[in-house]
Amino acid sequence: MTQLLLFNVFNGLIVGAFYALMALGLSLILNLSGVINFAHGGFLALGAYIAYTLIPYVGFWGGLAIAPFATAAVGIVVEWALIRRLYGRDPLYSLLLTFGLAYIFEDVLRAIWGAQSVPYPIPPELSTPLSSQFFFLTGYRLFMVGLAALVVLALFLILNRTRLGMRIRAGTADLETVSVLGINVRILRTLNFGLGIYLAGLAGVLAAGMLGLQPTIGTSLIMPSFVAIIVGGLGSLPGTLLGGLLIGLAAGITAVFFPSATEAVMYVMMGLVLLVRPRGLLGEEGRVS
Amino acid sequence: MKRVPAVAWTGLIWLVLLTMPYWMRAVGGYTELASRVLVLGLAAMSLNFLLGFTGVLSFGHAAYFGLGAYGAAMTIKYIAPSTPLGILVGVATGTLAAMVIGALIARLRGVYFAMVTIAFGQVFYFIAFRWNSVTGGDDGVTGWKRQALDLGLAKIDLLGNDKAFYYFILACFAIAVTLMWLLLRSPFGRTLLAIRENERRARFLGVPVERHIWLSFVISCCFVSLAGTLYALLNNFTDPRALRWDQSGNFVIMAVLGGMRSFWGPLIGAAIFVVLQDYVSSHTENWMSFIGLFFVLVVLFFPRGVLGILRRKGMA
Amino acid sequence: MSLLVVENATRRFGSLVAVDAVSMSVAPGELRAIIGPNGAGKTTFFNLISGFFPPTSGRILFSGTDVTRLSPERRVGMGMARTFQITEIFPELTARENLRIAVEVASGLRRSPWLRGHANAQIRERIEVLLDMGGLTPKADRLVGELPHGDQRTAEIMMALALKPRLLLLDEPTAGMGDQETHDITQLIRKLHKDQQLTIVLIEHDMRVVFHLADRITVLAEGAVLGEGTPNEIARDERVQAAYLGKAA
Repeated sequence: MTQLLLFNVFNGLIVGAFYALMALGLSLILNLSGVINFAHGGFLALGAYIAYTLIPYVGFWGGLAIAPFATAAVGIVVEWALIRRLYGRDPLYSLLLTFGLAYIFEDVLRAIWGAQSVPYPIPPELSTPLSSQFFFLTGYRLFMVGLAALVVLALFLILNRTRLGMRIRAGTADLETVSVLGINVRILRTLNFGLGIYLAGLAGVLAAGMLGLQPTIGTSLIMPSFVAIIVGGLGSLPGTLLGGLLIGLAAGITAVFFPSATEAVMYVMMGLVLLVRPRGLLGEEGRVS
Repeated sequence: MKRVPAVAWTGLIWLVLLTMPYWMRAVGGYTELASRVLVLGLAAMSLNFLLGFTGVLSFGHAAYFGLGAYGAAMTIKYIAPSTPLGILVGVATGTLAAMVIGALIARLRGVYFAMVTIAFGQVFYFIAFRWNSVTGGDDGVTGWKRQALDLGLAKIDLLGNDKAFYYFILACFAIAVTLMWLLLRSPFGRTLLAIRENERRARFLGVPVERHIWLSFVISCCFVSLAGTLYALLNNFTDPRALRWDQSGNFVIMAVLGGMRSFWGPLIGAAIFVVLQDYVSSHTENWMSFIGLFFVLVVLFFPRGVLGILRRKGMA
Repeated sequence: MSLLVVENATRRFGSLVAVDAVSMSVAPGELRAIIGPNGAGKTTFFNLISGFFPPTSGRILFSGTDVTRLSPERRVGMGMARTFQITEIFPELTARENLRIAVEVASGLRRSPWLRGHANAQIRERIEVLLDMGGLTPKADRLVGELPHGDQRTAEIMMALALKPRLLLLDEPTAGMGDQETHDITQLIRKLHKDQQLTIVLIEHDMRVVFHLADRITVLAEGAVLGEGTPNEIARDERVQAAYLGKAA
């Protein structure tokens, strides 16, 4: 029982890390540009498929290094060609556009790589259990958690220490002032979009090794990411991170005791948060309404 | 160009709706397609009560549509083989859920409102999908059929006679649409317009904005769940796809495509969408790409919708 | 008894104290002007009175009732109406429709799903009276967002009047107006004050308007009250002159 619980808690933590990576990217884009990127799941899947295609040539590590950047490049093209036309318009339009893109992504991925799940290779040095008692502690799982933590740390360093990051944060707080200061908001938004998509691509490469790779992998992760943002607090990146981990853990623990409610539990949490604290756990006052 | 009076347009629309089953076949359609236009048109118009006339962006209306569908299907299958009872239970279920969820979200605005409605929509999808023993899981609620309508003096066969069923839907549609039209022309309806136009001004005129948004949300969901019950009856079947997120998106694109600022726009949007989907899905496997592309094109080139464009050219 | 009493109202935004322990009391029928240099906290003070946000500390009493924590819509219901520094109207509706919404809400019909002929006739009559008072009758069926700035302002004031307020709060009614428009609005406010004995509190930058209209003046500077008195007393107050001239120079 203890082992089962531990297994599920750990599982929940990993899934929570995926949610957090994905939700952080969504949050970055939402906070700066006011766009809910419904196609985020599509980008995640694209990242995974690019890695899947590259691995036979460059190995797992090469795929891990290249695929997220390739995904971000596609993201920047999409932003530049389509999404930027809708900034400043009713958010309805960008939502519909990315919604349509999500359809296209899923269909195109299916056309290229097939609707069935494809085997996703994990390097042998990472796939053996580290301990016979805690069979679930494979190197790959530990590696995923570690890498996710590292990436999140890097993200917060970028946002707090680099010039780009500080501009993103300043733009999120007050876009008008930033543009008056002579910062090119268009380029800032494009780069920020790319950064968000990079996180999605990375989450995709990691998630495929654990959840299996099929065209709908992104769709199954995007709803929990929305929940993570709402629970954690709109406008707050630490909140989003916290929200992702919390709902992942909650889902993991629920899976032990009441398996059929695994998905439902996060929505219950969301309902409770909205009831008690509509702006979310770490949300700023006044952002919601 | 001379303006066509609104009365003429309304008359034309009713004329088309009343005669549709008699010329559908001649233009390559079939009666069920006409019924689908009506049902999804009602759903899109109901959504637009909130979206176009209150200015609140809900992206989760499929949940209430689906609750209506499940309510009707399960009532007829498990409780009593009665079409009106099924509709009643379905509408009550959807409305009740909207009252609870509406209370949680009426304080949110803009993109955040949209995001929370999307997320809440998924709750009901997962319940329908997971609760196998009751909802039939992925297979949905099957093994039931819509029942004849017993009016005391006469029985109307809704199942075998698809024209009769079309007119049954049209009757429900007419009642719902008339109610919405009357509401929008009432003092209450004008407070909703006020909220859409300028929430701050509305509040400082003494309108309790949250309560009115809640009311508008509940009314909108009530009518969308009516559309859901009719959808289940039309298919003699319902499954979790009726309440999935993509269905919500479809309702929104119908409203936008037709024109959010006009009362009848969403019906026209629904007609275009339904016919296009019917055509594309029977001709290609990659219909998702086409629908997705369609979304992109509508957003980039027709953001004001068909009626919005006509209006600008002075024709409507 | 005072219609409006503000006791030690303070509002902080983080470490910034926008309004610092301001007290003020306005008698029924009085026209009070609030003046002060930019950034003195005038609009924040207005927002506290009208319930846009609550004060960090202090109390606000309206005709003897503590309204400190009440929502704006409740305060409107009690007879408080306001306009904004940047005009807040329903731009895509006509002037008549704008007023209709206000009149209907004021008549307690906001939740009514229908309108009886009798009530409708009364509402129409009231709308026409308000349109006429503001000189908007010839433009009543044009979209209010397309009218000149001065007419938009007037429409906003008329909407506030439609609520039959006991206290009217006007935030810089003449901001951004030409001479003729300023003159017209000033005459309108004067008429409301003199003919209807309406209690008015207004924020204003144009000193000609202030000294022409006000019964009493409250001067704010850096969030606190610098002085209060009749226009004559304020004109002679050296601290006020110093604050104004100091800022201006």
